[in-house]
Amino acid sequence: MAIFMGNKVAVVVGTTNTITTFVNTVSLNRELDVVDITAMTDTVANAITGVERSTLNLELYNDFAASSVNALFEDALGSKLNIKLIPVSGTVSATNPSYSMSCLISNWTPINGSIDGVASVSASFPVTAITKSNS
Amino acid sequence: MNPSTVRDNLKTALATISGMRCLDTVPDSVNIPTNGAVAIVGMLDLTFDFTLNRGFDSATCSILVVVGRMSESAAQDRLDAYLASDGSSSVKAAIEADKTLSGAVQTLRVTQATSGMITVANIDYLSYRYEVTLIG
Repeated sequence: MAIFMGNKVAVVVGTTNTITTFVNTVSLNRELDVVDITAMTDTVANAITGVERSTLNLELYNDFAASSVNALFEDALGSKLNIKLIPVSGTVSATNPSYSMSCLISNWTPINGSIDGVASVSASFPVTAITKSNS
Repeated sequence: MNPSTVRDNLKTALATISGMRCLDTVPDSVNIPTNGAVAIVGMLDLTFDFTLNRGFDSATCSILVVVGRMSESAAQDRLDAYLASDGSSSVKAAIEADKTLSGAVQTLRVTQATSGMITVANIDYLSYRYEVTLIG
């Protein structure tokens, strides 16, 4: 494996809805809670990790066509969607792992107009379950 | 986005304006229809990877609308009609009537029109340069 461009990430909603062509930017931020356990005798703050609190961030171009971007996310508002990311669209392998996650669709911006821009959506969803797979 | 299809369909859109002669190459000489104009669809400036995984690209295209010699008094009035944001002679309205160019792009917008002059065969002509932004 080598350095690779980040412009071929596959974004799949559910099992078959590939919305990659509507995505401008995608990032998965895996983060763990940091729990402080500093004791009286410590001279340096001590901590352990708690639960994972990851987020999926998407910059999308909106489309109101049936089964397209807006329908997928707005119809799921308040519930969870399964979303899969693959770093380079194609075969999943040890050097191209997939990340399958359940995301709580807690926000959505169906209307975002400006005089000189394409209708777009900037969304950040909390990840409630995540699996990394090499196959 | 297929550049040839995009340029052809821009020509088709401009041809809906009465009296507009449409070209996609710069001619050696300008043969302007009586009380009309010539529209020359320029080359696309393409920016790849507007979306992930080779989904869509973005492009800009210049369209030159030439109406008549600098000395022709009626030419300016014709340019005003083409410059209008709507109406049957509006270049912007004609191009944006179908923002997908019959499916050739996802969307487009005529962003700007700049007045100027073009010299062809040592003759100065009144013109406007339109800028079109396309995504597809």
